[in-house]
Amino acid sequence: MLDMILSQTVNGLVLGFLYVLIAVGLSIIFGLLGIVNFAHGAFFALGAYFALVLAREFGWWAALLAPLLTGVVGMIVEAVLIRHLYGKEPLLGLILTFALALLVEAILRMAFGGAPLPFSAPRFLSGFVEYGPILLTKYRLFVLGVTVAALVAFWVFLTYTPFGRIIRAGSRDAEMVGLLGINLPVVFSFVFGIGCLLAGLAGLLAAPLWTVTPSMAASAIMPAFVIVTIGGLGSYAGAIIAGLLVGITTAMTIQFQPEWAGAAMYVLMAAILLVRPRGLFGEKWERFE
Amino acid sequence: MTDARKPIINRSIGRRSLLLGAGSLGAAGLIAPKLGMPYIGNAAAAEPIKIGMIWAKTGNIVDQAEYLAQGGMLALEQRNNTLLGRPAEIVWLDEPNPQGAQQNAERLVGEHKVAGIVGGALSSFALAISSVANKAKVPYVAANAAAGEITGKSCNRYTFRLQPPVDVHTRVLAPYCKDVGKKWYLLTAAYAFGQDIKRSFEEYAKANGITIVGADEVPVGTPDYSSFILKIRAAKPDVVIGGISASDLTTFLKQWNELGMRGKIPFAEISVGNTDIWGVGPEAADGLYTITWYYKNPNNPPEEQAMAAAYEKKYNRPAADKAWMGWLGMKSLLDSIEAANSTDSAAVVSALEKWHVKRGDLDSGYRSFDHQLVSRLLIASIKPKITDKWDYFDIKAELPKSQADIDAAFGSQADSACKMAG
Repeated sequence: MLDMILSQTVNGLVLGFLYVLIAVGLSIIFGLLGIVNFAHGAFFALGAYFALVLAREFGWWAALLAPLLTGVVGMIVEAVLIRHLYGKEPLLGLILTFALALLVEAILRMAFGGAPLPFSAPRFLSGFVEYGPILLTKYRLFVLGVTVAALVAFWVFLTYTPFGRIIRAGSRDAEMVGLLGINLPVVFSFVFGIGCLLAGLAGLLAAPLWTVTPSMAASAIMPAFVIVTIGGLGSYAGAIIAGLLVGITTAMTIQFQPEWAGAAMYVLMAAILLVRPRGLFGEKWERFE
Repeated sequence: MTDARKPIINRSIGRRSLLLGAGSLGAAGLIAPKLGMPYIGNAAAAEPIKIGMIWAKTGNIVDQAEYLAQGGMLALEQRNNTLLGRPAEIVWLDEPNPQGAQQNAERLVGEHKVAGIVGGALSSFALAISSVANKAKVPYVAANAAAGEITGKSCNRYTFRLQPPVDVHTRVLAPYCKDVGKKWYLLTAAYAFGQDIKRSFEEYAKANGITIVGADEVPVGTPDYSSFILKIRAAKPDVVIGGISASDLTTFLKQWNELGMRGKIPFAEISVGNTDIWGVGPEAADGLYTITWYYKNPNNPPEEQAMAAAYEKKYNRPAADKAWMGWLGMKSLLDSIEAANSTDSAAVVSALEKWHVKRGDLDSGYRSFDHQLVSRLLIASIKPKITDKWDYFDIKAELPKSQADIDAAFGSQADSACKMAG
């Protein structure tokens, strides 16, 4: 039994990293722009479909461009739609991004049909490694490596580069940054694009594991929201810790009470919010605490 | 990083706003099926006969539902969109969940005054629609759902079911699984269809000296099966019996292959759709299945071959089994309306009980005592080498063979839990 617990813990951690990648883009967009992006799952699906088309037409390496394309689409969406929501009633953002999610799914359905499409990992990433009771596939290790690299790269970018400092300053006092002559609308577009790029990257990495259908967004959006809520709205570090917690909790529930696996992350969220309504790393909310 | 947590504009989105928003959107999701649903057909024609169709437009089963709906629409198009010499049209509503399916069935009956309904992609949806059909006395053909309850203890005079129930699939597939080995692991979905499979295979195992070394119920829409697969690997079964459907099965098979289990432990499942396997891809596809129909089966009667050709011409892809089920379910209803020469529900129900189609040496029709369609199933395995992106199956057998075997597989009236009220 100890072997199985160890095996499931490691598996849960790896699964958690995939959840982190899905959730972190959502967290960034909320944290920096104040937009709750219900269309985040749609960008995840878009990333998977871009990867599928690029891999089919030009080979697997071309699929690596999928996150970039998703990011560009995100920037266009920000410039055309999201920009008009800043400073407006938050519910407008929820409704607009929810409608956007439905629109993207409908477009994918029209373009590719409703049936699932096959998409496999490249051959050099097939196979697995075993350490005693622990079984890990090379592809999942690859996902883990890419996720960690992406998270570290974004953190370095935000903390140590001039552009990262502008983003952080803009998130604190947009008016002052604007008065300094910085073109904030471009910065906001970039931030939204980065969030969508991360969703697209998650879509690309999940496509060989999950079913590629227009409705695949649904599998991504709920864990993403749960993780962001557990971690604390807008917290980068919180999303990472919460993603890993959700991964391990899900794996352990499957081991001991599989029929509860679907509810496990919601129970975890409820338990954490009862003790700490702001989430693990969220800011204090005077109304609640 | 703490600075980066601050939003730009304001801090006005709290959990209450978020929950309010989520609640509003949830409500919108419930209300959406009631709004703006398109008519398929000629809305301008005077007093058309309306046929209701409830197939998912959203959710997990939507990928199969697309084919089911296309098959249904094709059945009406093949009649030039006319019934009883009058224009006819299909009103297609969504089934986002069992409650939504029930509400839309009520809407089809109350608002659109349909002459009959075809639909119910999942067993839970079909049961919800069936209860409305019974209450409103409207003929209903459940063309996809397999849970035994539909033509078992929850049967009613107005509900007809096309797909053989789970027990029939089990009786056909289980002997093959028994030949593979006597240690089984069950991985079934946590809703009516999966629970029925679990019960059915457990009963067979008990009667045949087979050991169930593990049994997990899987939530619908599970995105990652790796933890389940690790449990299966540790249990070392001879065969894994699946009971997960649609895109969930696709996801499972992809991850089964990814974790190196393909070819190591045989996988078997009943009532699998072509589309579930098409999405897996040639590298990962694996398993032994029962399927209801296959477009390349040379034994398909001429009318079904013509349907398959018409479907392929229209949609530029082969007719999946789900397209056939949608087509045959709708055709049986339309044929029966013509045969009854009326849209009166009692007359149509009576005609449906007499409706049949010749499939080889078998007269396939709905049994009068439980309204279950009697037909054969195909045992199919994945081809060792897949060269055509649509053609994954080797058909191993068409079962049950004799009429006596068919009667035994489907069970007699005395065995049936269906006690239909007048």
